[in-house]
Amino acid sequence: MTRTNRKNPSELSQDTLFLPSFCDIRLVFAVVVIAELLAFVLVLANGRADPWNDLGLVSLFMQWIALSSAAALCLARPLLLKISNTAAVLASYLLLLLVTVLVSELAWSMGGLEQGGAASGHVEFLFRNTTISAIVSGLVLRYLFVQHQWRQQIQAESQARVQALQARIRPHFLFNSMNSIAALTGSDPQRAELAVQDLSDLFRVTLRNASERIPLDEEIDVAKRYLRMESLRLGERLQVQWDIERLPRKRLVPSLILQPLLENAVYHGIEALPQGGRIAIRGAAEGRRISITVRNPRAPQGLASHRRGNHIALENIRLRLQLAFGNQAGVALREVDDEFETTLYFPREKAT
Amino acid sequence: MKCLVVDDESLARERLSRLLGQLEGCQVCGEASDGRQALARVQALAPELVLMDIRMPGMDGLEAARHLLKLDNPPAVVFTTAYGDHALEAFEAQAIDYLLKPIHPERLQQALDKARRLNLAQLENLEHESGVRTHLCARNRGNLELVPVEEIVYLQADQKYVTVRSASQKILVEDALKALEQEFGDRFIRIHRNALVAAGRIRALEKDSQGHGRVVLEGVEERLEVSRRLLPDVRRHIRNGA
Repeated sequence: MTRTNRKNPSELSQDTLFLPSFCDIRLVFAVVVIAELLAFVLVLANGRADPWNDLGLVSLFMQWIALSSAAALCLARPLLLKISNTAAVLASYLLLLLVTVLVSELAWSMGGLEQGGAASGHVEFLFRNTTISAIVSGLVLRYLFVQHQWRQQIQAESQARVQALQARIRPHFLFNSMNSIAALTGSDPQRAELAVQDLSDLFRVTLRNASERIPLDEEIDVAKRYLRMESLRLGERLQVQWDIERLPRKRLVPSLILQPLLENAVYHGIEALPQGGRIAIRGAAEGRRISITVRNPRAPQGLASHRRGNHIALENIRLRLQLAFGNQAGVALREVDDEFETTLYFPREKAT
Repeated sequence: MKCLVVDDESLARERLSRLLGQLEGCQVCGEASDGRQALARVQALAPELVLMDIRMPGMDGLEAARHLLKLDNPPAVVFTTAYGDHALEAFEAQAIDYLLKPIHPERLQQALDKARRLNLAQLENLEHESGVRTHLCARNRGNLELVPVEEIVYLQADQKYVTVRSASQKILVEDALKALEQEFGDRFIRIHRNALVAAGRIRALEKDSQGHGRVVLEGVEERLEVSRRLLPDVRRHIRNGA
């Protein structure tokens, strides 16, 4: 488990500012090109007899605004990193408008920029520039934001997939199960056969697409198979109590959201205790929320060394739930007396 | 050869016992399900070889092997493991024998053929794998006496030995106090050049007739002297803990 999960969980949320770094020279070049194209559009749209005459001046002005904007975003980046993305969108939008106003004002005071001819007064000049900037900045920020979200999603999905393949079934679990089966083929071939079936089903699930949705029913079935495998080797030490009557069985959920919780409960709780213990799974559907709670006894303090892996698995589940259901879904942790409690929650209706 | 099979999973014990039973010159004299039980069985049954799982609840295989070395005539140890990634590399380097589960009969035969005794140097090199011990162990008239670390009330150094005191036991170990302090970290706090006490067992601080500070500890009668230098630390601890 720890082998495949050396990655810090915070890496997922680190550097998630939607804006790319405008300090990067390649991006600055892109800004220059886009500003130039925009200058072309403006000059052509003006419909005057000799558009090329204006181009030089308009380009100069556009580049001025564009480069100042890029510089402003580059400088503001450390500050923007500290606030939420929504706030960052708003802040950078206002920053861009401010840069436009300032540069326009400066250009006006230097004179010689009344491309509109005599008709264009100071206020009108400012207003026109600000409006153009408002529209263009809005479009650019919107584009960057959507692209960022898309990239985030791809990253999360691929990470979830890699984890589903590598981490979900711990090698430790696989080889111990194989060993149990080897033991059973001699003493109890029927149970060995059953175990091979269960193990195959579990592996089939881990090979599925991580973004695939399955009915809750099926996820519970996977979880039950998993626990059956574990009780094969842990015997009396593993007690399981299911209380899931209230769960809507047809609700679609991402696959492998419950099984990892149980795996953690076994690995960190039951297995670490000589006398074993009980895992209690309780499902609830209250109001518009579905929750599934897994409770397990806590291992003694000395064995806390492999806790790290635990949190990464949970972070992964949280991410996948939120991808599927948005912010109304998540994972909550609680320590109650000698027990550890993990709760999954997500909305009852399919998010529209 | 008398063999003891140690594993926390009964199916794993069953299979290994069966395999051993099929090999010539090998006799399974008993089974144990964790490190502590293994130590008791080794002393009772005196096997020549112990086949022991590494990952077990309570006391794990590596720790049990360390304690076994205290015996006059320790058995040879072969570790078994389902999967241990870097632990395995350490084994290779230390030439300690280990078997991967599910165990192949031929591999088992080889391991028996070359079964050899561990030495302390090998195990100490694996210490980062076994991590913090769960028990301290001493030899008393040929027997191993174990004190669970969580039951220890204080550790007091005296010349060559460290007295390990729990509510019900008192043993002498050869470990250095400094090493124990490092190994168990926050569990104990130092109250004197020669003493560590369990942080959770300090009940009160009082002054004796000579004006020295002494700690009152849960579960034992004796009060230990607190050095003047460490008095503020102990006071702070009591204040924060209360």
